[in-house]
Amino acid sequence: MAGKIILQSNDNASIEIDRDVAERSLLIKNMLEDLGDIDEPIPIANVNEAVLRKVVEWCEHHRADPPASENDDTDARKRSTDIDEWDQKFMQVDQEMLFEIILAANYLDIKPLLDVGCKTVANMIKGKSPEEIRKTFNIQNDFTPEEEEQIRRENEWAEDR
Amino acid sequence: MREGEYRITGLPRRQEPVAHPVPRPLPTPSRPIVSPLQNLLPSAPASPPTPAPSPTPQIHRLPTWTNANENEDTFLRDARPHFSRLDGPERQRFLAEILNLCDSQQLSFVLNYVSPRLKKDPFTSLPNELCLRVLSFIDDPKTLARASQVSKHWHALLSDDLTWKKLCEKHSYRRLSGTFKSWQYGSMFGGSSKFTSGFNSEISPPATKSKRPKATSYKSHFKQRYMVETAWRTGGKAIAIHETPDQGVVTSLHLTPDYIVIALDNAKIHVFDSEGNILRTLAGHVMGVWAMVPWGKTLVSGGCDRDVRVWDMESGECKRILRGHTSTVRCLKMSDHKTAVSGSRDTTLRIWDIEEGVCKNVLVGHQASVRCLEIHGDLVVSGSYDTTARVWSISQGTCLRTLSGHFSQIYAIAFDGVRIATGSLDTSVRIWDPQTGHCQAVLQGHTSLVGQLQMRGSTLVTGGSDGSVRVWSLEKNSCIHRLAAHDNSVTSLQFDDTRIVSGGSDGRVKVWDLRTGLLVRELSSPAQAVWRVAFEDEKAVILASRSERTTMEVYSFSPPPEALNEYYHTSTPTSERSSAEHERDTIMDEDTQLCGVMEA
Repeated sequence: MAGKIILQSNDNASIEIDRDVAERSLLIKNMLEDLGDIDEPIPIANVNEAVLRKVVEWCEHHRADPPASENDDTDARKRSTDIDEWDQKFMQVDQEMLFEIILAANYLDIKPLLDVGCKTVANMIKGKSPEEIRKTFNIQNDFTPEEEEQIRRENEWAEDR
Repeated sequence: MREGEYRITGLPRRQEPVAHPVPRPLPTPSRPIVSPLQNLLPSAPASPPTPAPSPTPQIHRLPTWTNANENEDTFLRDARPHFSRLDGPERQRFLAEILNLCDSQQLSFVLNYVSPRLKKDPFTSLPNELCLRVLSFIDDPKTLARASQVSKHWHALLSDDLTWKKLCEKHSYRRLSGTFKSWQYGSMFGGSSKFTSGFNSEISPPATKSKRPKATSYKSHFKQRYMVETAWRTGGKAIAIHETPDQGVVTSLHLTPDYIVIALDNAKIHVFDSEGNILRTLAGHVMGVWAMVPWGKTLVSGGCDRDVRVWDMESGECKRILRGHTSTVRCLKMSDHKTAVSGSRDTTLRIWDIEEGVCKNVLVGHQASVRCLEIHGDLVVSGSYDTTARVWSISQGTCLRTLSGHFSQIYAIAFDGVRIATGSLDTSVRIWDPQTGHCQAVLQGHTSLVGQLQMRGSTLVTGGSDGSVRVWSLEKNSCIHRLAAHDNSVTSLQFDDTRIVSGGSDGRVKVWDLRTGLLVRELSSPAQAVWRVAFEDEKAVILASRSERTTMEVYSFSPPPEALNEYYHTSTPTSERSSAEHERDTIMDEDTQLCGVMEA
C-alpha cells in the first residue's frame, strides 16, 4: 500500500512522493481509490512545478495530521489568526505564489492548506485602511472622488467604536 | 534622482518608439519573460520559491528614458537576446551581477520598480468562491467596511450577503428577524400571532415597531444591528422623560409593540405610546395596582382593592370588573386572548374569561398568599408564601402537582414548558420538572431573597436582595457569572441573547454582557431608587424615583434614519457569481422558512 506516487506538473516536471503524502489531496486520494495502484505519473493539469513542489512540501510536513473534519464550520476554522508557526513561515512567499498555492489547494482539494492560504490573505487585509490595502496589493482606486466619498459615508458606521 | 541614472539598469524603453529595428518583439516589463502559460520561471529552484515577475497590469508610472543615447540602445539590443537565451539559474546570476554593480540609490530604485510587480489583487486573481472564503475569515466589520472602499470590484464582492450573514452569526445577531421576516413571510405564517406568546411573561415581546425601511439584505441588517449594538455600548439617547406628579411606587412596567404601560401603588395606570408620549391614564382602581398584564390592546389589572379590571388601552375604557378575590391580587397572567389567571393574597388563583366576564375556576390549595405565577400552554405554575409551588391545569381547574422543597416563601417563578424555576426567601433557586414535580437542582449562591428571575432556554438569570445578579447554566445547573450589580436589592432585571439590564434600589441601571458577565455601561444618571427597567432591541425604559418624584425615561438605541441610507450601488461583480448567488438565495430561503415555521 505504502508505495510511491509520481505527480506530473503542467510543465512536465515529475515529482515522486509517498502515497500518504499525496493523499493529503482528496482529489488524488479519490483518484487512487478509483484507479488502484498505478505506476504512471499522475498529471496535475492546473499546477506548475514550482507551485506543486510547494504544495508537496506542505503535504510532507502535514502528512501525520489527523484527516480534515467533515464539519466545515468548526471553531478552529472560524478563528482566523491562528496559523501555526511553520505554516506562517511556509506562507512567506510572494503574492503570486500565495495565490497560486490557494488555487492549487482548491484544485487538489486540500482543505487545511486552502484555509491556511485564505487566512494568510485575510490577515494581510485586516486592520488596514482602504489605501493601505490598495498599497499592499497594488490595486488601483477606480472610484471617482464622489463615489469614494459616498462609500466612505456609507461605511462610517463601522468606524464608530 | 536624475533620469540619466536609470540608463545603466538595462531596462527596455517603454514609452518611446524603439529607435532601431529589433530582431523580434522583446518582452516589456509589463509582460513577464516566462512563457505566458506559467507564472514562474520554468526551472526556478523549488525552495525558496523564486519571486517571479508577476503579470500585474502596469499601473505605476515608469521613468522615461528619453535621454538614452544610441550607444545604450545598442547595448540593450545585444543584452536582450542574450538574456532571453539564458536558463533560470543563469538569469539569476546575470541579474545578481548587474545588481552587484548598483549603489544603494539604484537598488532602492530596483526595489520600488520591482515591488509593485510582486503585488497582485487577490480578488482578481482568485475565483469569487475563494475570495468569499478569504472574507469568511474576517470577523471584524471595520475591516470589511474598509475593504469595501478599496475598489469597485472589492465593493461588489463585499456586498455579498453570505459574508454578512456569517458575520451576523459570528456576532450572534439574530438572523434577519422580526420586521424583515414578517414583512417577507408574515402573510404566509400569520405575522401577528407570534407576538402573543410574549405577553405571557413580564418580558416584552422582541418585536419592535419600526418605522425605518426594512432591511433587505444581511449587510444592511448587520449594519443596523451593529449600530444598535454600538449605541447600547456607548450611545443611545433619551427620547422621552416624564416626571409624574405621582410619588407612587411603580409596581409594574410592560412594553408592547404599541404601548408602554406602568402601574403604580396609588391606584393609577398610565398608558404611553411606544415612544413614551402619554396617551391616557386608566382610572378605576381605588387602591394600589400590584399586577397587570397586556394582551394586544387589552390590559388586565389587579391590586389591593381585590378587583380584576379589564381595560381597552386604545379607548381607555374599563370593560369589565371581575370580582371574587377576597384579598389583594398579587399576580396576573394571560394564557390566551380571553383567559386571564390571577393569584391573590387570599391563597387562591382564579381563572377568568375576560370576554364573558366570568370566573371559570378557583384554584384552591395554597396555604398562604400566591405571590407569583407563570403560564405555558394549559399549565399554570404558582409560587406561594406557603413555600410551595403548584402546577395546575387551566382547562381542568385542578392541581396536578405540588412542588415542595423551599424552606421559605417563594417570590419569583419562571416556566417555559420544560423547566420551572423558583426563587425564594431561603436564598436558593430550585429547578423543577413540570412533568414529575421533582426538584432537579438547587442553585445556591445568593445570600438573601431571590426576587427576580428570568429564564431563556438553558440560561437562567436571577437577582437578589443581596444586590447580586447571577447567570446560571441550566444544562450544568451551575453558576456562570456572579455580578456584583447593586449596593442594595436588585429591583428589576431582564435579559436577552446579548445583554442583561438590571435596576437596583441603589438607583443605578446597569447593562451587562450576558456572555462575558462584564459591565457594559450604566444607563442614565443615578436616581434614588430604580423601580423597574424593561428593554427591547432598541429601547430601554427606566422607572425611578428622583427627587421624591416618579420619573420615566425612554432611551432609544435606534440608528438615525439617514445613517441607514445606501448611497452607492454596484451590480454584482461578474456573471460567474451566479452559482454563489444561487447558493446564497437557497440558504436564505431555507433559513427564513425555517424561522417562519418555528414561529408559526
